[in-house]
Amino acid sequence: MGKRLKIYLPFAANEMKRQMAYKGAFYLFILIDLFSSFIRYYLWMAIYGSSGQEVLGGLSRSEMVVYVFMVYVTSSVVMISISTKVSDDVVMGTVAMNLIKPIDYRLSLISQAFGALMYRFLVPCIFIWSGLEIYKVTVLGLTLAGGKEILLYLLSCIMSFMIYVLFDFCFGMIAFFTTYIFGLRLVKEALLGFLTGQLIPISFFPKAVRQVFDFLPFSSMVYTPVMIYLGKYTGSTLMFMLLRQAAWVMILYLLGSLIWKKVTKRLVVLGG
Amino acid sequence: MSKWKRYLRLYRVLITQFLKTIMQSKIDFLMGLFGFFFNQIMGIAFLYLVFEQIPSLKGWTLDQLIFIYGFAQIPRGIDHLFTDNIWLVAWRLVLNGDFDRYMLRPMNILFQVIAEKLQPDALGELLIGTILVCRALTKGIVITDALHFVLFFVSILAGALIYTSIKLFFASLAFWLKTSGPFLQMAYEMADFAKYPTEIYAKGIRFLITWVIPFAFVAYLPASYFLKSGTSPGIIGIECGIAAVLWCVAYALFQYGTRIYESAGN
Repeated sequence: MGKRLKIYLPFAANEMKRQMAYKGAFYLFILIDLFSSFIRYYLWMAIYGSSGQEVLGGLSRSEMVVYVFMVYVTSSVVMISISTKVSDDVVMGTVAMNLIKPIDYRLSLISQAFGALMYRFLVPCIFIWSGLEIYKVTVLGLTLAGGKEILLYLLSCIMSFMIYVLFDFCFGMIAFFTTYIFGLRLVKEALLGFLTGQLIPISFFPKAVRQVFDFLPFSSMVYTPVMIYLGKYTGSTLMFMLLRQAAWVMILYLLGSLIWKKVTKRLVVLGG
Repeated sequence: MSKWKRYLRLYRVLITQFLKTIMQSKIDFLMGLFGFFFNQIMGIAFLYLVFEQIPSLKGWTLDQLIFIYGFAQIPRGIDHLFTDNIWLVAWRLVLNGDFDRYMLRPMNILFQVIAEKLQPDALGELLIGTILVCRALTKGIVITDALHFVLFFVSILAGALIYTSIKLFFASLAFWLKTSGPFLQMAYEMADFAKYPTEIYAKGIRFLITWVIPFAFVAYLPASYFLKSGTSPGIIGIECGIAAVLWCVAYALFQYGTRIYESAGN
């Protein structure tokens, strides 16, 4: 374990350094991402205003504010795409270099993604999170998040990260079959925005659709940690949600290994 | 006059060359188109789910909102289709010195940038926009007299010009900053605000998207003219005025930028 850490830690550290090198653009992109959260915020406020009800889809108006911005925090920490790297490596042929090195390709990618996670957590997320907590207490009149919720949330986030990254690795494997995954990536992002609960809480979907979602890994990526943070899951439901996340980590890990084994067999790289 | 003819002919030649490269990768083309199409479908699905809970949003019905949403896609799609290459100016043509080649040819520089590429992905946006507008027509919620009909097309063209001008303005900043991609992206993404009625936003944001980066004039404001009788056609007039002013400012900045452009490298 110690030896492994020594091998893969530099991947994470380097990625953090790389991200820091492009700070200027990075700050602007944070702003851009926040735009859509603000659009959603205003939209929801108008929706609650027009409905005349206090609770929609199981969330009160104040909870919805927390939901919108915690979705931002969670998804920017959790959803770190590695499929771009995979497809670039495959298309350029550099994947061959990774095959001859005595390291696990997937683990090195995950380590890099983890570096990005740490950086994003430190730079925008912790500030937005704290800002949200202050807003929650002073304006919305809710209580500060408890230590237990925060710890469970962070635990759930780590698993969400694993689920997303492992899923994205499998997705990146498509590059072995077609060199153009830009369009597919658009589709993936649009679909995930919906299935993970980023756009709209999953409780708004009709019951039949929700039952289908229960058998997919996507709600475990963003929706579950945010609902845990909101304190919506307790007791055995909470345990079940966490166990389901753990199960998805296992399943996607095995699936990724299987696909990787299959595709590297048929890999052809030209040149030397 | 012969100058115009020459440019038209050149455009045809350049675009034909570009289309040949597209034809080599039909699947890429279809997937890009599908990607943009699908993206918008999700936005509509969101509205449907929300309207399960509420009868109307600030006085707007679901059908009206879908019309606004679809109407917003058409000028965006037109601009996206024809002038997508401007993005490259912002991201890298100035930075890596590739802009040199435009400076050397005896043709209008902006024309060369634009004529180099068509972005077929934009057909996805145009397609969904057209479908949603037609849907609104069959529902009979759109006013369809002769004046509205003509102004519909005027508004779409003016809207596309607003898009192009905003893009050109922020891309031209690259002549000073070397790369202005993030700024352009930021300005461009503000268009998303205008997909919904601007009444829902706080005053500051409303002012920003109406008068500073006037995307409200591309989508929501003209769309409401087609939906609500008694709205003055003056709104389309203002849209055209804004489009003209923005275009002049953006093009002047671009011209000025090309004059101070210094190539990269040694």
